[in-house]
Amino acid sequence: MKKKPVIAILSLTCCEGCQVAIFDLGERFLEFLTKVNIGDFRLTEELPDVDKYDIAIVEGTAITKEQKRRLKIIRKKSKILIALGACACVGGPQEIKDYRGNKNRMLRQIYPNIRGIDNPNVKSVKEMVKVDLEIPGCPINKEEFFEIINKVIKGKIPKIEQKPVCEECPRKNKNCLLLLGKPCLGAISLAGCGAPCPKSNFPCDGCRGPRKGINLNAMKKALKIKAGLNDKEIEMIMERFGEKNEILKANKL
Amino acid sequence: MKIRIDHIAKIEGHASFTADIVQGDVKAAKIKIEEGARLFEGILKGRNGEEMPEIVSRICGICPVVHNLTAFKAIENAYGLAPDETSTLLRKLMMLGQIINSHSLHLFFFSLSDFFGFKTDLQLINAYPEKTHDATKIRDIGNKIVEVVGGRSIHPLTPTVGGLRQAPKLEELKGLLNDCKNILPLTIKLGEFFINLKYPDFHRETTFVSLTSPDEYAIYDGLMKVEKSTVSPKEFLTMTKEFQGPDKVAKRVKFVNKSYMVGALARLHNNADKLNPEAKKLLEKSHLKFPIYNPFYNILAQAIEVIHCFEETIKLLELITTGPIKIIEPKIEYWRGLPAGRQGIGAIEAPRGTLFYDIKVKEGIIEDINIITPTAQNLANLEDDLEEFEHLGGFSALSKEQRADKIKMLIRAYDPCVTCAVH
Repeated sequence: MKKKPVIAILSLTCCEGCQVAIFDLGERFLEFLTKVNIGDFRLTEELPDVDKYDIAIVEGTAITKEQKRRLKIIRKKSKILIALGACACVGGPQEIKDYRGNKNRMLRQIYPNIRGIDNPNVKSVKEMVKVDLEIPGCPINKEEFFEIINKVIKGKIPKIEQKPVCEECPRKNKNCLLLLGKPCLGAISLAGCGAPCPKSNFPCDGCRGPRKGINLNAMKKALKIKAGLNDKEIEMIMERFGEKNEILKANKL
Repeated sequence: MKIRIDHIAKIEGHASFTADIVQGDVKAAKIKIEEGARLFEGILKGRNGEEMPEIVSRICGICPVVHNLTAFKAIENAYGLAPDETSTLLRKLMMLGQIINSHSLHLFFFSLSDFFGFKTDLQLINAYPEKTHDATKIRDIGNKIVEVVGGRSIHPLTPTVGGLRQAPKLEELKGLLNDCKNILPLTIKLGEFFINLKYPDFHRETTFVSLTSPDEYAIYDGLMKVEKSTVSPKEFLTMTKEFQGPDKVAKRVKFVNKSYMVGALARLHNNADKLNPEAKKLLEKSHLKFPIYNPFYNILAQAIEVIHCFEETIKLLELITTGPIKIIEPKIEYWRGLPAGRQGIGAIEAPRGTLFYDIKVKEGIIEDINIITPTAQNLANLEDDLEEFEHLGGFSALSKEQRADKIKMLIRAYDPCVTCAVH
């Protein structure tokens, strides 16, 4: 019999909602656990850590020095490293501070004593170490995760198809939120989520980051004309999950 | 003797613990939070008010619903808005789902292993396969409630300033009602299982704080109950003081210079007479006598609340599924045009205790915001408990490792949410 792969589910600074989403698979997740060996998964165990992981799944961003050190160690001991969720893939809401001027002034407004509090620019996991696969989203789509992870434990690394959220949107032929005047970023955002936001009458704000080859100018024009937004308001939406720099990179790529 | 616990597993977020034991006396008990600062209170300044609830739900992946709704309540408070009855009832349902999924995660997967000395849930799952199955089913219902009403189980979508964006489908609510009725007996069975566990013997008097309401077991709304007196959330906040803990990154909170406890045990203390019948029956079966100054019983209090929340969900669903569900989405132009009272305060009972949002808003833009989380409030109380931990029954006979295990068990009994504490 083939050896079970050693899996670690690890968390840096974030809301841990992506780990919770994995847990939300319920019975399916418990059954999945019988197919693997757990290397590290703090939410369910407190056993000593193991030396090597076949697959490390990392959510969050490394903000403290200790987390940065840990991320490098995780990379070294893992064959495959998966970045999980918006924080790990595009920075997450903690990256908003980097777009808002003086981040240390912001820190001082919250903490009277700022000594010993790390406040670096927020970086996604791939900006710090090599990443083999990204599963984006805030939170991740647990169904997509389950499909992907079952392929990964069989030795495959699937690619997420580059298509816009609009393709999965139940409103695409009628009641398009953008056409109704709402600031929806579905056209430039990477699908795979199943479009839960527009389904709930909530405009997409691109938590999964952009798909490749977008036309940002066309998107901005539509947001101005249809939703009546100004440049500042558009920027603020693009900042929400730290995806702004990714959008600028993806523009006409 | 120094006690040092590096990574406390099975809590939400990262923390460690240190203390000295000097001649059998615990000294300098400190919890050190090890999360990066995300500066939520900074990044929201200057942003549109209606963006805040979406962003703050990302403070916590276990309790995103309560952050989202409390933020909405703060804006609505500033603008003097009251959502329509249907929207309020649906938001209450979301909170019940939130508490069910958070409590069942903590009860079964975080805390239960401590009673048996298991170091991994896999041991627990193997030893109690049927109970695991039940706990998972209960938790699934909590998620499903939030998903059906909120549009998604983590980081909900349908709430908006003044109400909801969209009504859930009647058929789905009816399905949910049916599921809840089927699963309710499992919650009672699980509650009985938790009654029969052996809770460590520990006693330290404290003050229990929670919302309270004359009409119901307060979760979504109410005034603050502090011992015998009742005050508004606003008055309560003027009597509390936030300060930085020794780890700098997480704040602690004291009320008139004293630590206090929030969460399931506090709510049970303050509002047990408002529990639904089956939950009340289980409380009676437990033979617990108030006041219960043993924080380990926070675990049993959560088990009782799960039953209550199921009964309450059934009650609300029966009320709302009698006819078609109509909701009109409130428009931004509507509330932004209203004169704002500048300050807005929202308070809701999160799974772990009262969560407060205190905001200043001008012309729809957030000027200032202070978020006071349940864990920030409980940390001072927990550290005070740990400071007197030598009074734990049989403490002197325990080995160093056993002491560390009991300390971890107490920390987990509080169900701390470290990512909430830092935000």
